[in-house]
Order: sequence, then structure tokens, then C-alpha cells
Amino acid sequence: MTDSVQTTTGKKNKSMTQRRLIPTYIFLVIFSLFSVFPLYWMITAATNKSLEVAQGKIWFGTNLAENFTKLIRDEALGTSMWNSFFYATVQMLLCLLICSLAGYGFELYHDKAKDKLFAFLLLGMMIPQVATMIPLFRMMSGGKLLNTVWAFILPQLSTPFMIMMFRQNSRNFPPDIMEAARLDGLSEIRIFFSMYMPVMKSTYAAAAVITFMNAWNAYLWPKVVMTKNQAQTMPMLIANLAGGYTIDYGELMLGVLFCSIPTMIIFFILQKQFAEGITGSVK
Amino acid sequence: MKKQIISALLVGAMAVSLAACGSSGEAGKTAESGAAQPANVEKEDDHTLSVYAWDKNFNIPALEAAEKAYQKKDPDFKLDIIEQSQSSDVENALTLAGSSDDYSTLPDIVLFQDHYINKYVADYPDAWQDVNDADINWDDFAAEKISFSTIGGKHYGVPVDNGTVIAAYRTDLLKEAGHSIDEMTGITWDKFDEIGKDVYEKTGKYLLCMDGDGNDLPYMMMQAEGKSQFKDGKPVFADDDTFKQIIGVIAKLQQDNVLYLANDWSDYTDQAIQGDMVAGVINGNWIIPTIEQVKDNSGKWEITSMPTLSGEEGYASNGGSSLYLTAACKKPDLAKDFLAYTFGGGEGAQATYDEALTKGGVITTFTPAGGSDVYNQGVEFFNNQPIYSQIVKMGANVKPVEQSDYHYPAREQIASAIQNIIGGADVDSSLKDAQDQVVFQMNSVTSEAA
Amino acid sequence: MKKKGMSVLAKQHAAGWAFLMPATLLIFVMSFYPMVQAFLMSLKTGSSARLKWANPVSFNYTRMFSDKLFMRSVGNTFLYLVIQVPIMLILAILLAQLLNNKDLKFKGLFRTCVFLPCATSLVSYALIFKSLFATQGLINSVLSNMHIISKNINWLGNPGTARFVIIFALIWRWTGYNMVFYLAGLQNIEYSVYEAAHIDGANGWKTFWYITVPLLKPVIVMTFIMSINGTLQLFDESVNLTKGGPANTTITMSHYIYNNSFGQGVANFGYACAMSFFVFILVAILAAINLKVGDTRD
Repeated sequence: MTDSVQTTTGKKNKSMTQRRLIPTYIFLVIFSLFSVFPLYWMITAATNKSLEVAQGKIWFGTNLAENFTKLIRDEALGTSMWNSFFYATVQMLLCLLICSLAGYGFELYHDKAKDKLFAFLLLGMMIPQVATMIPLFRMMSGGKLLNTVWAFILPQLSTPFMIMMFRQNSRNFPPDIMEAARLDGLSEIRIFFSMYMPVMKSTYAAAAVITFMNAWNAYLWPKVVMTKNQAQTMPMLIANLAGGYTIDYGELMLGVLFCSIPTMIIFFILQKQFAEGITGSVK
Repeated sequence: MKKQIISALLVGAMAVSLAACGSSGEAGKTAESGAAQPANVEKEDDHTLSVYAWDKNFNIPALEAAEKAYQKKDPDFKLDIIEQSQSSDVENALTLAGSSDDYSTLPDIVLFQDHYINKYVADYPDAWQDVNDADINWDDFAAEKISFSTIGGKHYGVPVDNGTVIAAYRTDLLKEAGHSIDEMTGITWDKFDEIGKDVYEKTGKYLLCMDGDGNDLPYMMMQAEGKSQFKDGKPVFADDDTFKQIIGVIAKLQQDNVLYLANDWSDYTDQAIQGDMVAGVINGNWIIPTIEQVKDNSGKWEITSMPTLSGEEGYASNGGSSLYLTAACKKPDLAKDFLAYTFGGGEGAQATYDEALTKGGVITTFTPAGGSDVYNQGVEFFNNQPIYSQIVKMGANVKPVEQSDYHYPAREQIASAIQNIIGGADVDSSLKDAQDQVVFQMNSVTSEAA
Repeated sequence: MKKKGMSVLAKQHAAGWAFLMPATLLIFVMSFYPMVQAFLMSLKTGSSARLKWANPVSFNYTRMFSDKLFMRSVGNTFLYLVIQVPIMLILAILLAQLLNNKDLKFKGLFRTCVFLPCATSLVSYALIFKSLFATQGLINSVLSNMHIISKNINWLGNPGTARFVIIFALIWRWTGYNMVFYLAGLQNIEYSVYEAAHIDGANGWKTFWYITVPLLKPVIVMTFIMSINGTLQLFDESVNLTKGGPANTTITMSHYIYNNSFGQGVANFGYACAMSFFVFILVAILAAINLKVGDTRD
């Protein structure tokens, strides 16, 4: 994007700059290794025997097949993966819709009353989750929603953080477009769906990554409301592997790996839009 | 153009999501009922019971053994085991169900920690059904075990495992240090310390290890002396001379490199024991499968009773759980019959306990089961000692001591105190602090005391 | 068109409210209503099935100030806050600044590597670090192979080192996340601003301090609030890495609150709620201070 600035500089200059950047490269390489190493270790651990993992073996082993056989024998891996995927996807889609509508409403139709309401909603972020857990459980239990997707998603469908993110990003949405659309006779809701959404796609991508990861990784609340084997999620599966008198670390790390793959894939796919979406939110 | 395509795609995606949300009520339900359909059918079914349990290497194989045994009587019987990650998950489920005053969300039966059951029966009296009229001869079980599940004169639970403490030692390492397993039986802690010093010097291994985050060791040492940390419901350990002596022993063992205090449970099992750092382990016998993980040491271990202050043989029990019937159970007759037939000592008991032992390493407190061939086999890993029948016999010697609902808070506070004492703090004041902290926690409900 | 003006405006007005209603209602029902309930519970004592009004009603609130363990958990949490948040945010800014260099190659690769830790679940990464720092784990074997240590360090067994591991793990997990925000903020700054500064003879450090930081202020304030909120509600790391141990020396506020709600057989939910409101007030105060200090616009 800034290549044009460079076009005039000569080759010699270029190599000079690169040489000057050597400390930067060294630092970045070290920090990247620091960031990636534990993940690398997780992958190697998934191929090793429990004892080897406990003693910090650093290279790939030959126990992957056995770990996998044990994992699918002990735990409902398929069901848990599907459940996590299903709950996280539903939560992500609904959360994006609800929060983007709200962010749009708060920013593009903003007035004093709405700004005040928004500030008030932010208070919802500040209470520890454990405090609201019992009242929420009562609601879900009373509404016969335990073990349904609703119990999983309802408390997280609308979060102040997501609304804030869409509200910030909506500042980049030119009001002229709205005026033009209105003159064309488009209804307010049509403007949202056919104008706002396409323009804001990178914000949606960023929000999608964040909500999906949060939903996928949630443990405390799902553990409370999903009480049946058939409703088990991946973090619950991992917790089951990590409990007990004796832990098989190879099997456990393979479970952890399975649990990490989907979020990483999502991040890789949406990486570019994610960065752009965040950019909009910090303007 | 491109933008339009993207927008069309996005709107499409949203439409799908809306559709999903419209139908996700259904989708959610079908997914849930699709998966749970068998479970719902089971609810109507007269041959199925659901149960919460934890530990797929221990309790769950025992339950599967019982399911199999009961199928001899009722071929259609099914036990729906809902795995929990740890015992506290079951306690949380009770707390939550209690908060909404609706116990129907619980399964028919729960596996529950012995140390907690008293408090949960007191706090949530509506959550349980007693099993008093089940066809069980309660005298066949170790008295200490049954004392947990008998509340207000009524039997609430059926024992599963056995917490009898074993003192297991590596005979090869003892020999290397110039000692033998026979010297370890019926010895004082002072003698234990001396032998331990030799072992560490010659082999570099600790003669004892303990999870430094819990006070399992002080509790077991107290019980071996026949004493409790509580009296009439109040913690008294700070003023108890025996207890102070015990804490002194622990601190000394630690300083002499005889005792390795692991930082937490996984450090204890995975690093200290499986990492082959120790020459001895003293804990509930459920620790055996962990010891057996180190295949190279097969044949080198043997077990005996605990040391005591006086040098008598010490017997104690640590940990363990039993099966309890919840208010959610609509088929109490089936549940009681199942429990009586299997774990309770009925016709399927021997098959249940034999398989629980071979598949999960679960040992019973049901004394007659100790007579079976499976129980009397020599165990190769333990130098062909018939350890299982030996443990059942030792279990009968454990003296019941006063239990408290605040067992675990006390344990935690004492663990803190030990950390402080090892760090150089004064014994009396550290224990006093710990005791005050336990009293403080006990006063949480009755504000009058504050 | 003009004739309809009023009604169109009214329609727009209504549309605005309609758009934000579902989200607002959900927050009211799923956050504020339970918060009110939790507040009422904070005035009660007893097990979850038999809550009674406390006597006096402020009992749970006065109790926490004489609760040594709670005070320790407050101390621990603030220790994490004071050490971890600045280190993490400075590292994040530094990384963002380095990555924002137009001459840099492999930018995408570096960015991905640094962000990747955020994609691992909290349960997972705690387990990974726990294994790495185990007594016979990888860190110890590397250190002893390099002859830096002679005896394996019991990292999670000593209060000091255990706190260090928690802070270390937190930095690993969250630096990349914050970096993305800074990087985004930096990309909003016109390159010409730097060119101008360069011509004026400002060195790298000066440009960073006098140009980058002020322009990034809104982002810094946002990340600060997020980090403070996150750290004061720190839970998973304490539970999964150290279980609050050894002997409760690394326990955080949220972890202690959780233990009082559910753990240890002493479910004392009223007290847990009272402590939650203490945390709530702390977060609100710190966020307000932050906004005041960081507010440059109006």
C-alpha cells in the first residue's frame, strides 16, 4: 500500500534499510517463536505417550494413533465437536445480527437519550460472571431451556462489547449513502441490510472471529446448563480428560488440539478482514 | 459489481442465519431431541437409570461393571452414565438445582464425595431419597465407610470404593539404603525419618510425597492416632498436642528431604509418583493405579500399614465416594434393587466388585468380597503380594473419627499453615491463624457470631 | 416529499429505537435483571436452597473486609494488574510499531504468529503452560541442560514463581490480541505525519513518544479498560494453572468468589454476590479514572 513511496529509492538504499531492520527482525522472530512454541509443543505432545509429555519431550512421537483410539473410545468426540460447532455458529450469527443492528441504531440515529442508554449498558460488562450465574440458571431451568441451544446462547447474544465495536465502526459508514437510499425510497431496515451490511463486512468478520472464539471456548456457563451427555461441548470434553486420579497427557493434548483447530481455521480464513474490522473500531 | 455480489452474499448469509434463528428453536430442539431422543425415551423406560460420575479410569468402569452385572437379572437394563470432570461438578449441580428449587434436573443417582454428603443432606434435604429399605446388610461394610452415608440414623448411600490408606514402598530402594520393608511396618515417625534420610542419601529419592495443597497427610496421620481435627463440630487442631506433634514431624520430614511436598495434585501424581521421584507413597489405595503407571518398577513395590507416633501399626482412610439416590428418581424401586443387587452385596456383588477391581482398580469396603479369587490373587506389580484382600482387611481396622462439613476448608487452611511453618513461621501462631480462618468460614451463615 | 417530512422523521426516529431494542432488552433481561437478583442475594445468607435475610443486612459486606483470604485475593489480583498489564501493553505497542514499518518483509507471517495464541481456548492454554512448567517439565529440563539451574525448580509450588508463571502465561495469551488493536490504530495514522517528523529531525524514540502515543491515545484507553476489566475478573488462569495454590497464595478475586459460590462444600452464595459487587465497583471506578485521564476530545 505504501510501495509508491519506495519506488524512487535505489537498490542500495533498500538493502541498507533491510540491514538497519535486522534488530527488528531478530526481535520479531524471537517473539514469534515465543508465541508459537507452546502451540508447537501441544501438537508434538498429542503424538506422545503420557509419561513422555509429563517429562517434557520436545519432538514428535509415535503414539498419535493410540491417543486417538483412546480419545474416541473414552469420549464422544464427534458429538462434542458438532455441539460446539452448532452452538458457536448459532450464537455468532444471532449475536452479529442483534449487536450490529444495535450499533447501527446507536450511532447513525444517535441522540442524547441513546448515548446515555449506551453508557448505561456498558455497566453490564463489569460484573463478574459468577454473580449472575445462579439467577440466570434459575431463569433457564424455570423456562425448561436446559440442554437446549437457547440456554447456551441467550446470555451472550447481546454484549456491550460487541455493540460498542459496531457503534465505533459505524462512524465510518457515510451518512450520505443513507440519505441517497432514503431518497430512492428504501425503508430503514432495507438500508441496513442492503447498504450497511455490505459496507461493514470487515467489521462483521472481526466480530465473527471474536464471538465464535468466545462461544467455542466457553466453559463455565455451558457446564452449568448443558447437563446431558448429548449436549457436551469440547471444553467440557477436555475438562473430563483433565480430571480424575490419573491423567493421560497424550490423549489430553490431542483433545486440546482438536479443540483449538476450528478457532484457528476461522482466524486464518478471516484474518485480513479481522485486521480491517479492528482498524475501523479504533478510529 | 463486486460489491453487489458481496452484499448479496452477506444478505444471503444473514437470511440463512435468520432462518436458522427462526428454526433454530426447532433446530436446537431437534438437535437436542435428536440426540436426546433415546434419553427421553429412556425416561419413560422402566429399565434405565441415569447417574452422574467422574473419572473414566476409576469410578466409571466400576459403574459399568455394575450395569453388566445387573443385566443378568434384567437384560434390558441400561445405566446412562453422564461423565463429570470432577467431584465438584456434581456438588455444583446440586447447588444449582437447589437454587431453583427444582431437583428434576438431576439424574436418578449421583456419585458423591463422602466428606461432603453430610452437609449436602443438611442443606438440601429435599434433594435426596434414603435407601433405608434397600435389601442390604449394612454390617458387611467397613464401619468407618458407612459412618459417612448414615445421616440421622438413615442410610442414604451405597458405598462404591474404599479409601483405606496404604503405605507403599520400593523394596529395591530400601535395600539399597540398607533397610527392608519389614522395618517399615509398625514404626514410629522418628524411625521413618531416619530411614528416609538414608534412602535420600543413597538413592536420591524421597521416601514420602504429598500434595502440598491439601492436608491429606495430617488428616491420615491424625486418624491413624484415632483422633480428629474437630470436636463437637468445632475445629480444635490448634490446641491439640498430637496434632502439633504431627505438624512438627511433617516439617522435619520435609527439611530432611524425606518428604516431597508437591505443589498440586498433578505435580503429585504426574511428576512425583509417575516421574519416579519417590521411594514411598502413603495415601488412599486409589493411588495404586497411578503407582502402576511406571511399568519399569513392576515387582519392586510392596504395601504395609502406616507409621504412627507411638510405633503401633496405623490405619486410616482417605477419600472415597458412594452412590446416592436423588429426589429426581421416579423409579426408586428399580434404583434400590440395582444398588442392592450390585454394590450392596446382592447376587451381582461379586461380579461387580471383581470387575470393578480388574477394570478400574476400585477396591470395596464390602468385607465378603475380599474372599474372592480375584481379590486374593498375588499382584505382580507388588511383588505378588495379595494386596487387595490385605487392603480390605486393613479397612476393617480403621477407626471412625469425628467428621466435619468443614473437612476441606480445614484441610486447605492447614496446608497454608504448613507452607508457612516450613517457611519459618511459628507453629502455634500459624495453626491458630488456620483455625481462626476455619471458624471464620463456619460463621458465614450465622451472623450472630460476628 | 417535503409534505411527508415529519412522518418520515418520526419513522426514522422509531427505526433507530427499534434497531437497538432487541440488544438492549437482552442486556436488561440477561445482565441487569440477574444483577439485581444477585444484589438481593448479597444481602442474604445460607445455602442456595434456603437463603435468609442476613442479620444485619450488611453482614456479607462487612464480612469481606475481615476476610484475610479475600483480602489476599484482592492483593494478588492487583499484583497481576500492576505488573502484567503494563508489560503486556508496552510489548504490544512495541510490536505494533515494529510491524507497521513499510520496509518490513513477512509482515503477515509475524502478525499471524503473534496473534495465534489468542485462538487457543483458556482451558487449553492453561494446560499447556502447566505441563511446560511442571517439575520435570520442559522448561526445567531445558534450564538444567543449559546448566542454568542445578535442581529442578518447583515453579507452581512456590508462591513467587507460581505468580510469575501466571503473569508469563497471561502475557503470552493476550499480547497479540492487544497488538492487533494498536496495529489497527497505527494504520489510521497518515504516513506523511512520520515523514514530516523525520524531516524535522525527530529520532525514532521522539516520534514514537510525541506522535504515535498521543495519536494512539483512544486505542490505549480502550485496551487499558479492557485489560483492567479482564484482569480484575481473572478466573481461568488461577483455576486451571495453579488452582489458586500453593495454599491459596495465587488465588484471584473471581476465583475466590467462585469458590464461595460453589466450591469446597461451603456454598455461600450471598457472600459471593457481595464480593462480586465489590469487584463491580472497583472496575467501574478504574474505568472512570481511565476515561477521565484519557479523554482528550471533549
